[in-house]
Amino acid sequence: MLNRTQVAALVFRRLALIGQELAKPELVQADEQTRLFGQASQLDSIGLVTLIADLEQDLREATGQSVQLVNEKALSRLTSPFRRVGLLIDYITELLNKPA
Amino acid sequence: MPCAIITGASRGLGFALASRLLAEGWKVYGFSRQATGPEHPAFEAVSVDVGDADAVQRAVDSLSQRGEKIDLLVNNAGAASLNACLLTPSAVVASIMRVNFLGTFHMLQAVGKMMVRQRRGDIINISTVAVPLSLPGEAAYVASKAAVEGLTQVAAQELASAGVHVQAVGFGPIATDLTRAVSAEQLRSLNQKIGRPQGTTLAEAVEFILECYAQRRPGPHYLAAQLPKPF
Repeated sequence: MLNRTQVAALVFRRLALIGQELAKPELVQADEQTRLFGQASQLDSIGLVTLIADLEQDLREATGQSVQLVNEKALSRLTSPFRRVGLLIDYITELLNKPA
Repeated sequence: MPCAIITGASRGLGFALASRLLAEGWKVYGFSRQATGPEHPAFEAVSVDVGDADAVQRAVDSLSQRGEKIDLLVNNAGAASLNACLLTPSAVVASIMRVNFLGTFHMLQAVGKMMVRQRRGDIINISTVAVPLSLPGEAAYVASKAAVEGLTQVAAQELASAGVHVQAVGFGPIATDLTRAVSAEQLRSLNQKIGRPQGTTLAEAVEFILECYAQRRPGPHYLAAQLPKPF
């Protein structure tokens, strides 16, 4: 299973690709504090959907398992895992490494 | 070779549409509980209950893992029941909503994500003239298809900028298993109301779907010469 460093590498790589596609250098140079949605975010709603869909594919290829990033547990968290890049990395790492 | 997924391709409109696309050189995956469909080397039947979100995701994942790209999804699988609204059992309502609305939602979510990754794709959700007609005796069916039309309009707006086009296409009665329980008199009356006294053949319905596919407008588009004004 992937550790946090590996997950972070996947997330930053995908953000950079989407940043190039959308011509948004802020995404290419994203760090863990970069906001993913809401005010001051570089992604609109379909941008966030695209990021999640692309990441699910990346994670499937990296782990050989189907991964659903949006589920009831994620949506019910007090702090959304999709708010900032660092929170998303934490969430994916936790999701991949939770006991079966 | 363009590639389509059609739900409910084992018979009726789904079967006819699959046959037409296959004849035009498409690869077609038929998603239905009975894994059957047209006999053709480019047709592959996938046994899946579209009302089961996990089963749908697994089936779509398996195509994704093969590197398949999906150009067109047609959400055609449907169920109907003729009942006065005060007499429709809850289990029947749940069953119809599960196939018609949840099934469409699950397929749209799973295949829609693939299409977002592809940055292109078309989704056609099959509806019915029973929605604008508010057809008495079909409350659960009409409600489920109205929900499909609402979903279509929201999804069309949400996904357009990702290159994914979503639309709803509706028909009057077509001679399929779905209309088998409807009397000849009711069918005649309904066809008169929508200005198609001769009814609608499967070939005409297929042709209309392909015309709408080419136009890429959300709709709903109805194959009807006339429709009553809303209440």
